[in-house]
Amino acid sequence: MTNPEILNALAGAVIDMDEEAARTAATAAIETGMPAYEAITEGLVKGMQVVGDKYEQQEYFIPEVLLCSDAMIAGLEILQPHLPVDHNAGAEKVVIGVVQGDTHDIGKNLVKIMLEAAGYEVHDLGRNVPLASFVDKAEEVGASIIAMATLMTTTMEGMRTVVEELKSRGMRERTTVMIGGGPISQAFADEIGADLYAADANVAVRKLKNRQVA
Amino acid sequence: MTPKERVLGCLQGTKIDRLPSAPLVLNHCSRVAGVPVSRFNSDAEVMGKAQVAAWKRYGYDIPLMFTTTASVAEAMGTRLFFPEDDAPWVEQPVAEDPANLAKVKVADPWKDGRLPVYLNAAKHVVAEIGEQVFVGCIFAAPFTTASHLRGTEAFIRETYKNPGLVNELLDLSKASALALIDAMADIGVVPVIVDPVASSSLIGPRQFEKFAMPRINDIVARAHARGMPICLHICGISRPIIELMADTGADILSIDRIDMAEVKSLVGHRACLLGNVQPAETMLKGTPASVTAEVKAIIESAGDSPRGLIVSTGCETPFNAPPENIEAVMTATRLYGQR
Repeated sequence: MTNPEILNALAGAVIDMDEEAARTAATAAIETGMPAYEAITEGLVKGMQVVGDKYEQQEYFIPEVLLCSDAMIAGLEILQPHLPVDHNAGAEKVVIGVVQGDTHDIGKNLVKIMLEAAGYEVHDLGRNVPLASFVDKAEEVGASIIAMATLMTTTMEGMRTVVEELKSRGMRERTTVMIGGGPISQAFADEIGADLYAADANVAVRKLKNRQVA
Repeated sequence: MTPKERVLGCLQGTKIDRLPSAPLVLNHCSRVAGVPVSRFNSDAEVMGKAQVAAWKRYGYDIPLMFTTTASVAEAMGTRLFFPEDDAPWVEQPVAEDPANLAKVKVADPWKDGRLPVYLNAAKHVVAEIGEQVFVGCIFAAPFTTASHLRGTEAFIRETYKNPGLVNELLDLSKASALALIDAMADIGVVPVIVDPVASSSLIGPRQFEKFAMPRINDIVARAHARGMPICLHICGISRPIIELMADTGADILSIDRIDMAEVKSLVGHRACLLGNVQPAETMLKGTPASVTAEVKAIIESAGDSPRGLIVSTGCETPFNAPPENIEAVMTATRLYGQR
């Protein structure tokens, strides 16, 4: 296979939810001496971007995105050992989680998948996350972004508490707060002083990429 | 007209005085009774009295019995966690390890989990106010129940990776649902099946048609065989499957996030529509004025829908929503819903 064919095969395997094809194409990339970084960013990640667009356009839904992500991971497992150790040193760090009192985490997992594909270093706190933990973790790892999700009206107020906690620790200015989930809206983001509201996982990545970094 | 006459007239297309109004006031009944949610959802007497008290307080046209979408899965073996004052959530799906599939049992509605709480509470409500109103009973359709038996993410992934397991869990869930339909027919309440996990917020129309819909069809058919109308509620995104929802034959379609004028043009000739004041934006965060404006817009969009409109909320009214916002749904329907 030529290099463009390999890159197409990597992207296509992700789009087609085909783990085996992703492994085959990744192996071909290594064998032809293609830099692993190129195979990932120009192959697998390009495929995942198409998947994100298909999701946003309601051509793909959550099961399809999860299986595309499995294919991407299958390719990554072969390519990652060939990456230089410092390949992701400059990546922006994101702390993500589902706020306390809520255990619905599929939406959050989807955002995590798309953020990782977009090159962010994601620290996932899981679900039912104590509110202070978001700020603790951001401080600990030096994250510039906190992403919070909830599907419940009873737990959405917790997001406000996190914004307040960032202020009281003097971290608000340097932290971008992004929120999402069923009951969340731009109006609620404005009300609690969150920086970004994302309606779905693809929008989340786009809004983070497009934001003005101070 | 009594609420019962009004709802019946709406469904049968005969003359009614005004559109029926039935906001999804569910766990909020615990606020009216002044008890924590965990008391409301664990004691049939408390639940029944709270339901009657809330109906007397607000005067809506259909009281609706409900605790959580996981109640059927709970009765089949899934363990829930019960916060003191919030709705329970799934703690441990019974078949999280597929090796435990044999532990999944078809629910006996009068014995298992908290289904008896719910049915006995419904009996109380029917005995107290059933002369004047139809009482609705909400429970999860098989796709949602099965997702709570297995764990939602694994389950929707397995619609591709392990359809055999998915179908097995769906058939067990369907058997439980059919038993519930029979129990509800016996006590004279109207079933409302909810399938949020089958919404397009999670799965696409293809998976819906292949896995969720055949079971919904069977449940609708059983309700009709028992002489009852049935309501299908799918909250979240449902525009891609709205026509399939109508194909199930459900008498009432409960709509969350679609413009009601569009719903009317797509399926208004096939089912009565119910919806769709925004639960968080409007019922929780809004004011009586914003509730009123939204009810007015809904009635303008679909008040003349061929098979009728029941003014409601898109999903459960958040239980801490201000009571005046619930009152505003009723007042606005009386004002703008005259026929």
